[in-house]
Amino acid sequence: MDANLPTPAPSRRSFLRSAVTVASGMSAAVAALSPLKELESSDIPSLDEFLQKHYLELGPGEMQAALERIRNEVKKRWDVDAVVRDVRPKEGVEFVYALNLSRCIGCRRCVHACVAENNQSRSPEIQYIRVLEMPRGTIDIERGNHHYDRPTVPDALHYYMPVQCHQCANPPCTKVCPVEATWTESDGITVIDYDWCIGCRYCEAACPYWARRFNFVEPEIPAEDLNPDMSYLSNRPRAKGVMEKCTFCLHRTREGKMPACLEACPVGARKFGNILDPESEVAKILREKRVFVLKEDVGTLPRFFYYFDERYPRPADEEAAALAGEDGK
Amino acid sequence: MKEYGRFLFRCFRVSFAGDWRYQAWMTFLTVVALLGLNAYARQFVHGLGVTGMSDQVSWGLYIANFTFLVGMAAAAVMLVIPVYIYKNQELHDLVIFGELLAVAAIFMCLAFVTVDLGRPDRFMHLLLRFNFPISMLTWDVIVLNGYLVLNLHICGYLVYCAYRRRAPSKRFYIPFVFTAIVWAVSIHTVTAFLYVGLGGRPFWNAAIIAPRFLASAFAGGPAFLLVTLWVVDRYTDYVVPPKAFKTLKNIVTVALIINMFLLVCEVFTEFYTDSAHGVSARYLFFGLHGKHALVPWIWSAIGLNTGALILLVTPLSRRHGLLNLACLMLIVGIWIEKGMGLIVPAFIPSPLGELVEYSPTLDETLVCLGIWAFGLGVYTVLVRITIPVLAGRLTIDRLYHPDYTHKVPVTFEHPSDTAGSHS
Amino acid sequence: MRFLIPATFLALAAVFVLDARRGVALPIPPAAGVSKADLFLGSPRVALTDPPTIQNGSFRQTCSECHALFPSPEVPRDPLLQHTHIALDHGLNDRCYNCHARENRDVLVLHAGETIGFERVPELCAQCHGTVFRDWQDGIHGRTTGSWVTGSASLRRLKCTECHDPHSPAYPRIALLPGPNTLRMGPQESEPHHGVPENPLEKWKAPHGAASGQPSEKH
Repeated sequence: MDANLPTPAPSRRSFLRSAVTVASGMSAAVAALSPLKELESSDIPSLDEFLQKHYLELGPGEMQAALERIRNEVKKRWDVDAVVRDVRPKEGVEFVYALNLSRCIGCRRCVHACVAENNQSRSPEIQYIRVLEMPRGTIDIERGNHHYDRPTVPDALHYYMPVQCHQCANPPCTKVCPVEATWTESDGITVIDYDWCIGCRYCEAACPYWARRFNFVEPEIPAEDLNPDMSYLSNRPRAKGVMEKCTFCLHRTREGKMPACLEACPVGARKFGNILDPESEVAKILREKRVFVLKEDVGTLPRFFYYFDERYPRPADEEAAALAGEDGK
Repeated sequence: MKEYGRFLFRCFRVSFAGDWRYQAWMTFLTVVALLGLNAYARQFVHGLGVTGMSDQVSWGLYIANFTFLVGMAAAAVMLVIPVYIYKNQELHDLVIFGELLAVAAIFMCLAFVTVDLGRPDRFMHLLLRFNFPISMLTWDVIVLNGYLVLNLHICGYLVYCAYRRRAPSKRFYIPFVFTAIVWAVSIHTVTAFLYVGLGGRPFWNAAIIAPRFLASAFAGGPAFLLVTLWVVDRYTDYVVPPKAFKTLKNIVTVALIINMFLLVCEVFTEFYTDSAHGVSARYLFFGLHGKHALVPWIWSAIGLNTGALILLVTPLSRRHGLLNLACLMLIVGIWIEKGMGLIVPAFIPSPLGELVEYSPTLDETLVCLGIWAFGLGVYTVLVRITIPVLAGRLTIDRLYHPDYTHKVPVTFEHPSDTAGSHS
Repeated sequence: MRFLIPATFLALAAVFVLDARRGVALPIPPAAGVSKADLFLGSPRVALTDPPTIQNGSFRQTCSECHALFPSPEVPRDPLLQHTHIALDHGLNDRCYNCHARENRDVLVLHAGETIGFERVPELCAQCHGTVFRDWQDGIHGRTTGSWVTGSASLRRLKCTECHDPHSPAYPRIALLPGPNTLRMGPQESEPHHGVPENPLEKWKAPHGAASGQPSEKH
């Protein structure tokens, strides 16, 4: 038989029929995509953002262009003049955070100071710090109560343990990121390039301390609450679909200031500094106090150390009365 | 080359031709796929907040389906072992059906991963900065895409050779087939290692996960093939040899027995030790502090698998109706076990002990159904093309004549049969 | 019949177009609305400086301006006009002249009798609270604000009386700020559940001193 014999030519009717079917199918497909008309121009990344290289590959000119782009986006969206910088780590600095569990009263001011400083979404709410109300007699953070609600704090039968990103020295999150959007810098802070993250949330699954947050929807920040002092790797506004987390306020700490959570703590439970400086507070704490880390068995080598002072922070008589009498005030 | 173009064109036209059952099935699949596309468009605009996921449970139905389908893709190639290693010629054609299933399943896997991404527009970042070999996700990207290419080549080559009515040259497919056997095990092991390597999730951080993956995959994949071949045997003129059903049934039964045994191992370890590491298992099987959304699911899965096992080991499954029922039961049971029974409980409670439950939203479910419809549609079309080619009705030198009335037993000519043939 | 398939697709297209108007209802919880004023307590107290002064109507007077007018009693009486708000709740330290110099109220007195200004109050507290003072000197106790750089001019350590009321030093209870309300959190109880894995302190709390023999409860 002739190898080039084609299939029989279709009749006009069957051609029309299949054309109608195809046309109706295509119109259904286009109609299926009709929600896309709600996409705003801010949802679609600009060409510059789309083609931008990874943070570690940006040359100085490219970085300035990126910062300018971010500045313009902030101005356009909130009508706020922001200062967006690229703050580099200092030489000879490795940050360590220490937290005095005898002092923390669980007031949650650190939580909300962080939210204000780092331009986190208010609705839905993203908070990097989670304060746990822990029963006495345990340091297992899975026994903590996240949603405690009392007229005043602290409560006699509990102590309070704030948890945030520990900037681990052996972080599981940076191991699992497929695109290297998160890495550890020389001063120990684990950072995220928000313009590189693909939003796969593998790092969120990997973190043993539940420290990483994902923007499931576009973050909402009222313009009057925006902090205009921003940096590329920390508190510039993020878009939906990318990860974020505590960065030890690197836009402040890399310039010698204290992180916002520490400044807000009314009782001085939080201690921060450069562990390589033997005279720093944190170096002295690690030398002189019995510090421990959370989930040490996972091997993450956190930079966040907890310690107790000589006793729980409660007036003696009230504590004795509470423990000797009924439980659960 | 031109001939190949014409081959593709003819395949394209054949995929639209068929009896009313075929048209109805494809229309149904298209409707569901478009519903899924619509739901995904909504997700694209509003973000992943339209799903039921949260910071506490950050992976849900998408990754659950992905995990299940990687297993299906891996197991589809399990047929290759009896045919090529044990030289069981009767089942020769079935290898193609298995590999076509693998192709469709991998397409579905890639689709599920893409819809799960927060920024799918940045997928090319994977090409620019690839955290290989440290990140297991990069291994997964490599092995899944490699497996897809491998299977596309094998099927494409064999089918095209049948279309051209010439014997396929062994060196263009035999080495790839054997590579595919090893690669099939690797794709599922790598996917298991995604979860196993996370020290912060003790529910996953167990060595049994990878063997369990393989066992459940080798039960689910051949079961799906069994049902497909029954449909092909019943509704087309292609005759599937009974030996095929028998072999597949044996594979499924053994794999299911192993899977149930591994389940017993897991349950014993979690509950006898009764340590804090078993809290996710306690949530899954019995609920925790009044939250028990997954309990009916896991017990249904165990019930379905046990029922399927009873049907399979007893003579009841000699009848095709009950055999199909057993296969469908265990496919559903394994889907639940691997999906809602593996992915979600690892997030509950959160690493800080918070109990936040997960239930998929309507949009999320529609996207999943849409991708399933798309995958089933791809598989149907591929089978639709392959059967006439293998039967000799769609070849380079023949007009295509659909003939559903006359059942003709046809087998693909084995290269060794046609002595002296050349391309 | 032959147009069933196109009809299905067109109906589907109509459904999509009509449905697109409904939008997406995301269960976004309302913002907590914490204002900046709630956040920063700053320095909780304003400590007295040298010379110590008190606001008396529109006058600002040093302590000795009043106390020079009358002799200080052996045992201080209840205050009549000034200092009525002072509640003395300092544990065993219930004698005013342990800290205040009887003859000169503009200074404080150490155990050996030496008088110091109010700026040196940490030395006074250190006499009894030596361990806390040692921690405070190292920066372990108390608040440091401004900078973590050792020796920086912005680094400021708050003194004892800038946080603690010397007459009632226990840090007061304060109101807390709202807890987490994240996306799709679901209902959460503010009290821990019964049956949370036992707290050893609860488990071995014996009624009336008897040894506890009850088995642990299964949860």
